[in-house]
Amino acid sequence: MSDPVLSVRGLGRRFGSEGDFVARGLRKLGLAPPASVVQAVEDVSFDLYPGEVLGVVGESGCGKSTLGRMVAGLLEPTSGTVTRPDAEGRALPMQMIFQDPFSSLNPRKRVKALIGEAPRVHRLTSPSEVEAYVADMMDRCGIDPSYATRFPHAFSGGQRQRVGIARALAVKPEILVCDEAVSALDVSIQAQIVNLFMDLRDELGLTYLFISHDLGIIEHISDRVLVMYLGRAVETGPVDRIFDAPAHPYTRALIDGVPRLDRRRAIYSPIKGDIPSPVDPPPGCAFHPRCPLATEICRVERPVLRDMGDGRQAACHHAESQI
Amino acid sequence: MTPVLELRDLQTSFEMPEGTVHALRELSLSVSRGEILGLVGESGSGKSLTGFSINRLISPPGRVTKGEVRLHGRDILPLPDSEMRKLRGRKIAMIFQDPMMTLNPVLRIETQIRDVLLAHEKLSKSEVRARALAALDEVGIPAPEERLRVYPHQLSGGMRQRVAIAIALLHKPDLVIADEPTTALDVTIQGQILALVQRLCRDRGTALIWISHDLAVVAGLADRIAVMYAGRIVEEGPIDDILDAPAHPYTRGLIDSVPVPGQRGGRLRQIPGRMPALTDLPTGCAFAPRCARATENCAEVPQLMPFGEDRKVRCVHPLAAGEAA
Ligand SMILES: Nc1ncnc2c1ncn2[C@@H]1O[C@H](COP(=O)(O)OP(=O)(O)OP(=O)(O)O)[C@@H](O)[C@H]1O
Ligand SMILES: Nc1ncnc2c1ncn2[C@@H]1O[C@H](COP(=O)(O)OP(=O)(O)OP(=O)(O)O)[C@@H](O)[C@H]1O
Ligand code: SF4
Ligand SMILES: [Mg+2]
Ligand SMILES: [Mg+2]
Repeated sequence: MSDPVLSVRGLGRRFGSEGDFVARGLRKLGLAPPASVVQAVEDVSFDLYPGEVLGVVGESGCGKSTLGRMVAGLLEPTSGTVTRPDAEGRALPMQMIFQDPFSSLNPRKRVKALIGEAPRVHRLTSPSEVEAYVADMMDRCGIDPSYATRFPHAFSGGQRQRVGIARALAVKPEILVCDEAVSALDVSIQAQIVNLFMDLRDELGLTYLFISHDLGIIEHISDRVLVMYLGRAVETGPVDRIFDAPAHPYTRALIDGVPRLDRRRAIYSPIKGDIPSPVDPPPGCAFHPRCPLATEICRVERPVLRDMGDGRQAACHHAESQI
Repeated sequence: MTPVLELRDLQTSFEMPEGTVHALRELSLSVSRGEILGLVGESGSGKSLTGFSINRLISPPGRVTKGEVRLHGRDILPLPDSEMRKLRGRKIAMIFQDPMMTLNPVLRIETQIRDVLLAHEKLSKSEVRARALAALDEVGIPAPEERLRVYPHQLSGGMRQRVAIAIALLHKPDLVIADEPTTALDVTIQGQILALVQRLCRDRGTALIWISHDLAVVAGLADRIAVMYAGRIVEEGPIDDILDAPAHPYTRGLIDSVPVPGQRGGRLRQIPGRMPALTDLPTGCAFAPRCARATENCAEVPQLMPFGEDRKVRCVHPLAAGEAA
């Protein structure tokens, strides 16, 4: 295997503060309420290899966006490292495509400026050709180039997301961090964009960190998958292993709960229980309050990510009983 | 039985520099007590506008220019705004794609719930608190006491949406219009919200319009489905009939572009081209430029015609069961 284009080691991010020593002292004595510190991401490690798609899935608030923003260099980690061994030459080697098309586009800028400004500044295109360059990017992403003079508000949600993708691609990045990039798109456009992402990977060797809550898309697009729960990686491995024989009960619950065209008037019986507050995660395995397999050890000892012997790692005391 | 909501020939238009643009046309649909109607279609097809038009939330240069919006048989379009405000939130509630459409970023959750409750009900302080806690609990929010004190930005996307749903349901409305509320949520949370919504509709007899671009979600939830394209309904009927044997080539295309579980990598089947801009609609069937079955007969806009039992399709070349587009 070739060298990774990006390596993440022990990455963590904490939000909020524990206060000064007086506050900490008072808390120790039980005289002050607990600090609201959120460990949004904790001890996540992976390598990204050139041209691969690493899919990241997990529950709302589990830290996917926080992880994505740290990988993209938009947020400082509080622990761990993100390294790019071979980052020479590119002006903007990483681009992020956001979850929320409503807030990620400057409403005061016309689409041609949104897409064309960065490549012009970084001299990826000459001033005389910028218009054609923008038109090509728009066309590639399925937006009518005649809309170049419009403002973002004149587009519907899906159209705006396509503008965001065109803008990211315009600076010829090496790695795309996609945070729910196709979630707001309807299927026919989703299919076009997924095909577009795959074409760009083949043509330009693009590498993706692909964050999505949509298991159908993750299954389709990913080479490897990272499943997160409450800030930690609970299972990671090749897409086939993860989807054909999930080792972690949380992964299984996700796969069983995914809506499918052939499941009509489904009786949804999602994992029971609430998402634990990330301010105060459960001891032991963070999934134990919701887990159908939980036993005594799960309540006291946190399972570490273990090699399952098939290129996959899972953090569950009872992983073997699943596969 | 009178449907909870019936739209008759609704038309919503925008005054643009280029001229008047009709964003919704000839829109007729109905939803009964306890029924779930899935409204699907491509981005920009008019799904959200349908919800906004029902709720009179269209702002200039847009307005409803034709048709009727009947709530329990009464056309509410002619009602003065003051009457409409009373219906909104109490009889008709909306849940949006972006929960911040419902939530005020500068107010604590408790304040927002209190304001909505007191807008239509007289309640004591302790009653307000009990209702607020129960509402958050019902949508599965952990540690509701803590959450009452926070501001929306302190919650993750999924949490914000639950709070928005809790607020929409405070007055037990007869009709809920849910505009892509689970689009940004992951599977188990979506599953919980779908389960919640199912329970609500069954138990309370609430009529629900579930707007989504995600056919699979609608497949699992809805009793009926209406497919929109370029501002018109192109196909409508019972969920099984339509998903198992779509008659409109567009519906067929939508179904075919959903990734099939177990089938990894490779190209997805996509519908060629894109939906035309409203300012640039073809004269005939709006889908014709993307449609493999189009002929000269498609140069006129097809009517929404009965097709089989209890179904309608707007196509002069509808597909037979099992036929490819
Ligand atoms: N700026 C912030 N300040 C405080 N807490 C934050 C901040 N950003 C994120 N968090 C918290 O960190 C945790 C992870 O949030 P993050 O947005 O990364 O989750 P996510 O997996 O992307 O969720 P979603 O699927 O809802 O987008 C959450 O508990 C969230 O409340
Ligand atoms: N304020 C406006 N001015 C002009 N046109 C508008 C305005 N608001 C919406 N439209 C147009 O009306 C059409 C329908 O928009 P609508 O938001 O209902 O689409 P949608 O089906 O909900 O799409 P999405 O899935 O992207 O949310 C779109 O073509 C849009 O461009
Ligand atoms: S470690 Fe225990 S509680 Fe955690 S997922 Fe495995 S079985 Fe469930
Ligand atoms: Mg996120
Ligand atoms: Mg919409």
